[in-house]
Formats: sequence, C-alpha cells, structure tokens
Amino acid sequence: MTDTKTWARVKSPWVLHFNSGACNGCDIEIVALLTPKYDVERFGVKLEPSPRHADVLLVTGCVTQQCAERLKAIYEQMPQPKFVVAIGACACSGGVFEGNYNVVGGVDKVIPVTAYIPGCPPRPEAILDGVVKLLNALNPPKPKKQPKQAKAPEVAKPEAAVAQAAQGIVEEEKQVAK
Amino acid sequence: MIDFFMLIFRILIFPGFAFLLLLTLFCDWMERKIEARLQNRVGPMVAGPGGILQPLADFIKLLTKEDITPRAAKKTIFKFAPLVAFTIMVFALCFIPIDGASVLSANGFSGDLIIILAFATVANFLLFLAGWASCNPYGTIGSARVLTQFLGYDIPLFLIALTPAFIAGSLQIANIAAFQSTHLLPFILLAPWAFVLFIITMQAELEKDPFDVPHSESELVGGLETEFTGAKLAFLHLTRDVQVIFGSALVVELFLGGPYGPVFFGASWFWFTLWFVLKLLVVVAITEYITVVFARLRIDQVLSGNWRILLPAAILSLMLTVVLVTWVYPLVV
Ligand code: SF4
Repeated sequence: MTDTKTWARVKSPWVLHFNSGACNGCDIEIVALLTPKYDVERFGVKLEPSPRHADVLLVTGCVTQQCAERLKAIYEQMPQPKFVVAIGACACSGGVFEGNYNVVGGVDKVIPVTAYIPGCPPRPEAILDGVVKLLNALNPPKPKKQPKQAKAPEVAKPEAAVAQAAQGIVEEEKQVAK
Repeated sequence: MIDFFMLIFRILIFPGFAFLLLLTLFCDWMERKIEARLQNRVGPMVAGPGGILQPLADFIKLLTKEDITPRAAKKTIFKFAPLVAFTIMVFALCFIPIDGASVLSANGFSGDLIIILAFATVANFLLFLAGWASCNPYGTIGSARVLTQFLGYDIPLFLIALTPAFIAGSLQIANIAAFQSTHLLPFILLAPWAFVLFIITMQAELEKDPFDVPHSESELVGGLETEFTGAKLAFLHLTRDVQVIFGSALVVELFLGGPYGPVFFGASWFWFTLWFVLKLLVVVAITEYITVVFARLRIDQVLSGNWRILLPAAILSLMLTVVLVTWVYPLVV
C-alpha cells in the first residue's frame, strides 16, 4: 500500500512556480524545462496554476520583505505532503542580493526547504536533476522517514548556505540537502 | 440467480464500472500523448511502459494527498458535488450500448437519448455548484462561465443530436446504432454537416480548447477547480475525463454506427467492444487534435459564436434533415 503511494507520488509531482523577487533568469530556465527540448512531462511533472494542486513548490529569487508573507501563505495553502525546491543562488542564500536592505535572503529563512539547486541561473538540466534526486530520495531508504518538511523554518544550515553562496556562480553544481 | 449475478458483473466489471474506468484512464493517457507529440514533445514516459500508467499515478497521488476544506466553503456541496458529478456521468455511460447491449438492459428504452443528455447537463451543473461552493473568487468566476457556456451550448447539442434520431426514426440509442448497421450506412455519410457541428458543440460542452474559457489557466488560475485538493480534485479530473469518453461515445453511437461492425469469428460481444473502443479512440484523437491546434477564444466570442452561429446552424441542420428524411432519403435507401 505504502509502496503504491510512494510510487504514485514519485511518478506524478505537480509543481507550482513562485517568483519571490528573482531577476527572471531562473524563471526562464524553469520555463525552458517545459519546452520540447527538456519536456519534464516525461517524468509526470505538470506545472499547476493553483497551490492547492501542487506537490512541489519551486521558489526562485531572493525573497524580498514583501514577498515573504506571500510565500508563506502560498506554502500553507499547499496540501501535505509538500516539498520546496529553492532554485538559484538567490533562493538558496540571497545570492547577489545578499545583505540588501529589503531582502530576507534565502527561502529557508521563511519556509522549510527540501532541496537546494545552486547556480546563477542553474541550467535546466541541473533543475531537472535536482527534482529527480528529490523524488528518488523519497523512494529507497525505507527505515528513516523522509524529510517531509520536518525541519523547523529557522534552522538554516549556515555552513551549507555559505558553501552554496561560494559556489553559487558555478553552474551545473547541484546538491540535495538532506 | 444467474441473471442477478450477471447484472452485478455487468455493472461492476464489464462493460460497467471497471471497464469504463480503465478506458477513461487509457484515453487520458492517449490525449496527453497526442498533445505532447503534436507539440514536438514526448509526453509521459517513465510511469509504466510508455507512461501508460501516468493517469493512474496522478489519480492515486491525488487520492492520498491531504484534503483541505477552506473555512469559507459551503462544506456539504463542496465535499459531495465532485463525487456525485462523477457518479452521474458513469451512470449516463451505462445507457450506451458498448458490447452490443448497454450495461443495464439489452436495448435501453425509448427516449434514453434524451435521458443521457439530461444526465450530462446535471453533471455539468454539479460541477458549477462545486466551484460555486468553494467560495474562491477564481472558482466562482470559473463556475459562472461554466454555467453560461453550457446553458448556451446545450441547446444546439440537443438539436444536433436529434438529426440522427430523425433519420433513424427513434429516440433510442440502441435503435439508432442498429439502424446504421442494418443499412450499412453510418450517419456520418448521410449527414456529414451534423457530424461536424456535433463535434464542435461537443468540444464546447467538454470545455476543450477553443472553448476552454471556464478554466483558462492564464486568467482564472484553475477555474472552478482552484480550491480543490486531494480526493475531490481527483474526482473532478476523473469527471472531466469521463465526460470526454461520454461525448466521444455519443458521437460513436450517433454518427459512426455504434459498436456494430464485422464479426469475424467467436463471440460477437468481443468484436463489438473492439469496434466501439477503436471508433471511440478515433473520436478522442479528433477532439484532441482540435484542442491542440486551436487557441482559446474569449468568453464573449464563445457566447456570440454560440447564439449567432451554432444555434442557427443547428436549427438549419435539423430542418435540412427533416426535408431530406421526408423527401430525399426514401428515394435512395
Ligand atoms: S540566481 Fe541569478 S539568475 Fe537566478 S534570480 Fe538570482 S540573480 Fe537571477
């Protein structure tokens, strides 16, 4: 039963795209995923218009002060189980906007993030790889339950964030935190 | 006793619920594949061979997701409308002859064509109620559009569905289909204009692409589905897919000679089912092609197209049919 459930979840991730103040670079890369060249529908990924339908929230941008509230609201509207993928150096840590007066800097300061995909902007392949890794992380390790947004929002891992900020410009570098 | 078990079997398994569900999921997969291929993509690929299990995966996933009911929603209607709409659509399909007989009885009854069209209307109305009860601005606009659209398009749909009924001289679906097979003349040849009009109206009834204003993502987020999650969303999607099957099945029965076709050897029900499914898939492919090729109209264009073009055309088509049936076809057939 649980196997079927996991199988269905892995095979049919519906994503919602949220731009929290990105420069539009990352967004274009996400849109590129839907084009014939990359065609994420192969993996059952569908871009959904409403947070109520989505399983995975793709956040781009550095999260401006104004966006933070909205981001949280959108996240809370999604039904469980839900995952958040931070796309781009900005979403991972603030990127080039780090330290700006109107910027929160990093999605994980507002909502729990399941996977980080650094790059400025990350290539579509890197995003695809990140999403697939996230989904495969759901599958094999039976005993320890998956990081279903179990992390508390405030606990951003500073070392990881710094490391990512450092390699933020290096594209094709992807990692799945936890 | 045997009869009773036979009836249960027919309702639950073949050609009833289980068969229809499988057909629905298969058609959903086929639609997505056709759409993807026409857009130069590959479409679902990893879930099962060729992605054929993709609709099933979507369905199971939605069933196992959290079910949220917004505080503002009208709880009872919000909860039950999708399920009831789905039930009514499947019930309407039970009146359509699939393996040479419909699910409930061998021949149906006089007037079952009207009954199933009415069922389709009720199901659409329930979808409207579902969106309305969700109390979301996008949901309510979407449902208001559903209502305006299907109230308008139901009239031409009924009028055009009467064309085959006139030619066959019966309002009974089984008779209409049987008439075509005994005369070896599917009505698509006798009344091609009605076939074209019927496909266009069907497209509008199913809210498929040139007419998909009720759930146009770029304007209305998800239309009436906006607030729905989990199992309710699953049943809304399923209702839509069953509606597609229902519309295509209606086209098959009325214009393409129903389930009848050559029986080569063995049991006739097998061949009839095969012909039915093949014809159905052809119709689904045609509608999907139209969906992909055309861009969305505006709501005012949809409505004026309905009242100014399609309704007069439907009335003309009916008049033409009456004239032909009375004076011309007796000379030919
Ligand atoms: S990571 Fe780079 S491309 Fe992406 S939003 Fe930030 S600045 Fe733009």
